[in-house]
Amino acid sequence: MRRVCFFICSCCLFLLFTLSVALQQPKAEPAGKVIVFHAGSLTVPFAKMEKVFEARYPKVDVLREAGGSTKMARMISELNKPADIMASADFAVIDKTLIPDKASWNIRFATNQLVLCYTEKSKYAKEINGGNWYEILQRPGVVWGHSDPNLDPCGYRSLMVIQLAEKHYNKPGLYERVLANRPKENIRPKSVELVSLLKTGNMDYAWEYLSVAVQHDLNYLELPEEINLGNYKYDDYYKQATVKVTGKQPGTWITRTGKSCTYGITLVKEAPNPDAAVAFLAYILDPNGGLKILKEMGQPPFVPCRVPTGEMRDMLPLSLKQLVEVKD
Amino acid sequence: MRNKLDPFSLLTISCSFIILLFILLPLFEMVLQPSLESLQETIQDKDVVRSIWLSIYTSSLAALISLLVGTPFAYLLARKQFFGKKFVESVVDLPIMIPHPIVGIAILSLAGRGHWMGDILQALGVRIMGSVTGIVVVLTFVGLPFYINTVKSGFESIPVRLEKVSRSLGASMTSTFVRITFPLAWRTMLVGMIMCTARAISEFGAIVIVAYHPMIAPVMIYQRFTAYGLKYSQPVAVWLILVCLALFLLLRVVSLPRKEQR
Repeated sequence: MRRVCFFICSCCLFLLFTLSVALQQPKAEPAGKVIVFHAGSLTVPFAKMEKVFEARYPKVDVLREAGGSTKMARMISELNKPADIMASADFAVIDKTLIPDKASWNIRFATNQLVLCYTEKSKYAKEINGGNWYEILQRPGVVWGHSDPNLDPCGYRSLMVIQLAEKHYNKPGLYERVLANRPKENIRPKSVELVSLLKTGNMDYAWEYLSVAVQHDLNYLELPEEINLGNYKYDDYYKQATVKVTGKQPGTWITRTGKSCTYGITLVKEAPNPDAAVAFLAYILDPNGGLKILKEMGQPPFVPCRVPTGEMRDMLPLSLKQLVEVKD
Repeated sequence: MRNKLDPFSLLTISCSFIILLFILLPLFEMVLQPSLESLQETIQDKDVVRSIWLSIYTSSLAALISLLVGTPFAYLLARKQFFGKKFVESVVDLPIMIPHPIVGIAILSLAGRGHWMGDILQALGVRIMGSVTGIVVVLTFVGLPFYINTVKSGFESIPVRLEKVSRSLGASMTSTFVRITFPLAWRTMLVGMIMCTARAISEFGAIVIVAYHPMIAPVMIYQRFTAYGLKYSQPVAVWLILVCLALFLLLRVVSLPRKEQR
């Protein structure tokens, strides 16, 4: 009899315990796949965010696909590839390609800027500073390079920085003179490939995004906001820089105009898994979560993140509203 | 003719067909895609002609260097037994296995500032990064194993007996090589050069790190693909394939043994 009592009691206890655990669980824990399309330059911070987020929510599997921002946006708008989140290196791409059909809002969450990278081995590495970099780049024997403007936005942006320096420091002809000391052989398809040239001592100076410089432990020279393409408030000033790059077919050309490097992120309207996607977005935009990682990786975030209008803020999911401010 | 239907021949024939299809189908698909118009347009493009020429020129140079320094080495490997030979043979094969970008970075790190070799090269005015010299160095690096391995087995198939007879009749090592070994081995040496050139022409990963400009054909194909898309990169690839095919066919014909010798 005692045994039976004990058995019944323990059964009841067990039932109570499981019930209470089940009740404590939030109603819908984020689960399933979250597909994120993002700019190539966000690969390192997003990989880290994925790890942390998946550790927090083991039922979620974040699938990332990196590529040129324009290309990734087109995959959503033209090829209708399923995606939950799109993060672009140029926030305007979301405005132009995805809104209003594929997305309804656009949060500016981080920035980048152009810096001049070097190593201890670089010629005149001890001398270089904000006042003489453009002179050092003209010195004979100094090997400096940038990525191919026709293939990589970092390439034409590097050229824009030098054009803006000519205006900012009021040195007419500076652009031509600096470029005259950069033989074609110093160009590489993508800016990240210049890092190995720097590190092996084959190149003295290379133009990179700040994030690349930080992620690869390079020495770098930061430039004034008027010329580093890092602050969208200077977009009107940046506009003065123009670079001709190849068009759709050999022999044709288009002109690229200077613009700040401001990252934008959005939730795709037909997102297959919106609940988990919003949870991941909330983590990315959290000052103690994703934004902190971005800061460590050299992509200075906006804390808090920004949307241009109050109407856009009203369109945001509830959990994201508290993470953004309205600021043009 | 009696054995026409025996299972073994059937197997050999069907496998041969499958392999030929496997190689030719994708290539046909590619060769047939571009219009004649775009092919014509492409070959009139000076940059394209220059890059294909540079590819052939640097690859041939790599083969020539392999011929000069690789032949004695291949002879040594074919004829002598020594301690650590297996190790040396594995070292020769290394360039085949190493991922291509790593080859490029490895060569660049030797040539950089701060490295003793790089400093010597710089003092001599030799530039590896972004130069034809650099391209030839990389292509020789990746092509050399193919030359050495081919020629080594060529030497091995020549009976040592013949060389010994020549030596016993008083000929020196050099004259034995020139009069006995070389005439018997030159065809494999030619085949080795074809293999080396072929490997070199296809190299992309290491080259794009060492030299983006001046552009060899595979780099130009990549650049056109990224900047303009498939439509403008394919004609360049087709021309490269056609030119190489013609070149290799010619060399194969030259290296064919004459009928009476067979």
